[in-house]
Amino acid sequence: MANHSQFGFQDASSPIMEELVEFHDHALMVALAICSLVLYLLALMLMEKLSSNTVDAQEVELIWTILPAIVLIMLALPSLQILYMMDEIDEPDLTLKAIGHQWYWTYEYTDFKDLTFDSYMLPTADLPLGHFRLLEVDHRIVIPMESPIRVIVTADDVLHSWAVPSLGVKTDAIPGRLNQTSFITTRPGIFYGQCSEICGANHSFMPIVVESAPLTHFESWSSLLSS
Amino acid sequence: QSFKLLGFLDVQSVPCARESVLYGSLGSLVVGLGHFLATSRVRRSCDFAVGGFISTMLGYWFYCRYNLAQQRIRQRMLKEGMKNRILFEGSYLDPEKNQTGNERSDS
Repeated sequence: MANHSQFGFQDASSPIMEELVEFHDHALMVALAICSLVLYLLALMLMEKLSSNTVDAQEVELIWTILPAIVLIMLALPSLQILYMMDEIDEPDLTLKAIGHQWYWTYEYTDFKDLTFDSYMLPTADLPLGHFRLLEVDHRIVIPMESPIRVIVTADDVLHSWAVPSLGVKTDAIPGRLNQTSFITTRPGIFYGQCSEICGANHSFMPIVVESAPLTHFESWSSLLSS
Repeated sequence: QSFKLLGFLDVQSVPCARESVLYGSLGSLVVGLGHFLATSRVRRSCDFAVGGFISTMLGYWFYCRYNLAQQRIRQRMLKEGMKNRILFEGSYLDPEKNQTGNERSDS
């Protein structure tokens, strides 16, 4: 989860998020280069006398056509690589359905048994000591770690969005439509997210909690819940 | 505490950023000073210094990130290999056991 006043990304917990963080660092470095150049040019213009003698500037026009093209290529190539990586279908081991309601989520594990439960935010008054305010839920989603998971997201009433920043996942939940996303968790842990599409009064109070555990733990949890 | 260059690039936590900026500064100094010593033209030397900064910084950045990506791939292969070794050691899927078996049959 994010710390207070955190500005940057959360630690990546999936390979896609690791790639996104690396791309973001690359984009910032390109931005630094561009900002340095622009700052220098601004300083130069401030010291230059105004003149209307220039009629022809072929060389500088060539430079300021080619240079932006190079910058765009430097940004577009890794960006497209990640975009296509995100769309890869990886034979998921588990399919999970997430249905958004006002103001809670319903999760369905229907691959092997019919397992359905609602996930409501824990009110602050009922929060155990040491737990996170406005982020904890009564029933977490448990998934096996290091396994490709497919999530099918939809909504029952208004627009919602199923987002978990540390997994690099954000998918809109649209009534009457099924949106698909997939991810793999690289390590066990608990990953927090929040609804990311304005959906009414309690939009900020319908969090998502994904618990990634070894397969044996996941199997015991699903047996427990279905019995 | 993090130091953010121009307010947005955290040079301490981004891998390769600190070295890129430092090498860029060194490159800028070398190119700018070298041009000035050769031509005694201040304004043009400043242009070369800025160009040298950007090209050295980006050049080292690409080189460093490429090496980092290769290192990450090697780390992942090593991690997978270690996990598989622990899983299959002593079993019929253990490649070392199969090799030893072949050596015995050859001798």
